[in-house]
Amino acid sequence: MYSNSSQFDGNAAFSGGGFMPSQTTQSADPSFFPSKNRDAQALLPLTVKQIHDAFQSSDDKTNLIVDGVDVNNVFQVTLVGKVCNKVGRITDVTFVLDDGTGRIECNKWLQEAADTNVAEGILDGMYARLHGHLKGFQGKRTLNVFSFRPVTDFNEIANHFIECIYVHLYNTKIRVSVPNQQNVMNSTPITPTKGYQTQAVPPSNQFSGQQINGQKSVEDMVLDVLHFPANRARIEGVPRDLIAQNLGISLDKLMVAIKSLIEEGVIYEAIADHYKSTING
Amino acid sequence: MDTSNPAAFVNAELLHFYVGRRVRALMQVIRSDGGIVIGKSTDEKQLVVKGSPPPAPLTTFVEVFGIVNNDKSISPEIWTNFGDAVGIVFPSHSSC
Repeated sequence: MYSNSSQFDGNAAFSGGGFMPSQTTQSADPSFFPSKNRDAQALLPLTVKQIHDAFQSSDDKTNLIVDGVDVNNVFQVTLVGKVCNKVGRITDVTFVLDDGTGRIECNKWLQEAADTNVAEGILDGMYARLHGHLKGFQGKRTLNVFSFRPVTDFNEIANHFIECIYVHLYNTKIRVSVPNQQNVMNSTPITPTKGYQTQAVPPSNQFSGQQINGQKSVEDMVLDVLHFPANRARIEGVPRDLIAQNLGISLDKLMVAIKSLIEEGVIYEAIADHYKSTING
Repeated sequence: MDTSNPAAFVNAELLHFYVGRRVRALMQVIRSDGGIVIGKSTDEKQLVVKGSPPPAPLTTFVEVFGIVNNDKSISPEIWTNFGDAVGIVFPSHSSC
């Protein structure tokens, strides 16, 4: 069945252990893998081009790293594409999967009668969804397919690419910012710092809005909210509760940030509990 | 594993970047006369597909895999029927 997970809440859809390691395990394991235990394998939606690029860029050809994640040992992959050059034998079936970004050879071992039936149902030119494991042999990557089925609802193709984009962005951006947050919270800055600055920096330098390693201080995030065009247009300023809600932080933390921003002269209180930025956009 | 000739998904706007190359395009069939199929691309522009006629009756939405002739037409190699409804459809009943 194609309609499996909820499509609206990305975190809920992907936090059930389906596609990515959960964030609770990241603080314990510095390499950010849930475990090397094969029982805990998770599933990664990928395009052929991502696999190809990872293969080209990795020095160690036996361990494929995609977006910082070790695809070989920990993850299975899922792909959607058009089946070409299908060759069916008694014990296995080989075909090339073309997903619009490239082609990869796939091999499915036929162990049960059900496998053979499914294999016969998938013809050249049909779109299919595959789950499998990447294998390398003599420098060539192939996909050892565990399950495949024809695509019946063609929204699945667009959905697969959107999932690939989401997982790619999750793995490259959100996971990078998690260790930074842990570092900043463990240190005890008197003035707010941006990630890895060790010496005291004059506060005026900190509000350029630049990101270092994807981590922003609370002040920068408050300023970003105040700089939204819709918020800039508010004559009375942005209510404090709205800022807290947008950033998902507690009022206490927000008030600390707002107080220091006011002291720097970067924002001001327009009417009670409403704030505006003094920086022109 | 071969990424040397990927067939990109295109709409009408992107066609002129891929002239002479292989692409795949999803379109809604408006009219089909023998060797020519007129369709509407995903960005609401007209696409003309001239060449070998489709082997089977076409559904409303098809994917054409072929070589781009010019910024409005494609020479088809493979047709894939995508069915009569593609995209978000909100069902009238509550469960899905």
